[in-house]
Amino acid sequence: MHPPTPSSGALRRLGTQRWTTAAKTSRQCAAIHMTTRATVPSTKQTLPSHAVRAAVAAPSSPTLPTVTQTAQRRTFHSTDHPPPPGPFGATESALLAAAYQHVPEHGFSSAALAFGARDAGFPDISTSVLPDGEFGLIRWHLELRKAELAGRAEEMFVGEGKGKEYKIPEKIEMLIWERLTGNKEVIGQWQQALAIMASPTNVPVSIKHLAELADEIVYLSGDKAVDPSWYSSRAGVSAIYASTELFMTSDKSEGFTDTRQFLRRRMEEARGVKGALGNVGQWVGFSAMGALNVARSWGVRV
Amino acid sequence: MKIPLRHSMMSRSSARLFRPARHICSSSGAKRALGTSIPKAATPATSPSPSPPTNPEGGEARPRRPLTKEEREFLSSALRVNQAGELAATLIYTAQTPLVTRSDPHLKPLMKHMYDQEVGHFDTFNSLIAKHRVRPTAMYPLWSVLSAGLGWGTAMMGREAAMACTEAVETEIGDHYNGQIRSLLEMADRMERGGGGMGPELKELVGTLRRIRDEELEHLDHAVEHDAKKAEPHWLLTGFIRLGCKGAIYASERV
Repeated sequence: MHPPTPSSGALRRLGTQRWTTAAKTSRQCAAIHMTTRATVPSTKQTLPSHAVRAAVAAPSSPTLPTVTQTAQRRTFHSTDHPPPPGPFGATESALLAAAYQHVPEHGFSSAALAFGARDAGFPDISTSVLPDGEFGLIRWHLELRKAELAGRAEEMFVGEGKGKEYKIPEKIEMLIWERLTGNKEVIGQWQQALAIMASPTNVPVSIKHLAELADEIVYLSGDKAVDPSWYSSRAGVSAIYASTELFMTSDKSEGFTDTRQFLRRRMEEARGVKGALGNVGQWVGFSAMGALNVARSWGVRV
Repeated sequence: MKIPLRHSMMSRSSARLFRPARHICSSSGAKRALGTSIPKAATPATSPSPSPPTNPEGGEARPRRPLTKEEREFLSSALRVNQAGELAATLIYTAQTPLVTRSDPHLKPLMKHMYDQEVGHFDTFNSLIAKHRVRPTAMYPLWSVLSAGLGWGTAMMGREAAMACTEAVETEIGDHYNGQIRSLLEMADRMERGGGGMGPELKELVGTLRRIRDEELEHLDHAVEHDAKKAEPHWLLTGFIRLGCKGAIYASERV
């Protein structure tokens, strides 16, 4: 009934093979690229400097971070079955990982993709296999930074239980900040990326990513609530993250201290709102039960 | 007198509605038809152990495969709907208990026993939902209000109606858990055949579901023992509640 299962595992294995060959070819091709690199669509870089960089970057490409294996999905997370294959195929991963190295310079653009394709040893035209072009590169960034969070959370909260205690909101703030620092490298290009993410065809996927990120942050913070606050905490984290991220794109302060302050203020506000709502809810419930019990004490059969 | 009367009075459509109920609650042998050999007191931890040879813990077996998208979706919606169900059950008993125990103080231990078991089930599914990162149902507040209202309403109608409410709900829930256990066993079968087998946490889930199913059916027996069938009009009350349960299960599996 489920034939795709074994074959999907096989595909993944096949994919990693393809990935290593791609990496190998990229090393071999780096030299060729230096000579053949002529024009890259819609860019006017000085090619020599770039070609040198590509030649340097290519040998290190097998260690490029990949999200194929580590990506977590939101439905049923199993601890003793391996995670399902990630959102990117092996070829797609190789191409995007290589292209991502060019983002700080060329932005989330077709130019970065074209350079990445060359580095990974594919022909320039191969970027057309990506279903969503530059947006795929943005998705790569989002998945990569999200996948890194779990490891960073372990490092950050390592002192927990040994004298150091964090409250859940504190941990959420630390995690949001940690995720935002993942944007530092590409911060110059991030406004453009947000614009691409906000275009109508991309909005559903962008929102899904934001929701997944919020889920990851709340999960890593150790919040185990599974009542309606499951929704409110994730909505709150999404709102705070999105607004702080936008603020960060125009922050010129040293070490993004203004962004840090902005984040702290938003967290304070959220704490205030949550406290007020909780108090109102508690008061309503308490009054209702009180009224019912008074009625019962009068002998009313309710 | 009462039981034959109910059967003769049933309309064709309500007979259709009741068919699964009879196969569950008519005989206690048929009730456990889905092959739980675990005694009632067995803990879930002991139940998955009978199949160690196929368990790839030894290392020689093939590695477990990832869960497919369908399997993950099934498991998520199963845990989601179970949590919603147990939430509703605890609230029904919470709302019923003060009214029922005032008119019939001798039912106090029974109500407490059933309530405590439901709280245990609710805690089990809460921790499973948190562990497996499943989204709880968005209808949570609505179910809270409706189930508390149902419990209060039936208790206002008297002890018989309250017990009929338990009978209807637990019948539906027993069926529902049986369906889930069946799907999980099919899934385990597929995994064994495909090599790698099923992970211990899913095996434990089967055991947990069987234990909870048996406890729910025990509540059904208690309700029938305490005059659930004397509620007037029994067929309308149970039919209505079971229809509501079916609708709630359908909705909670999805949203």
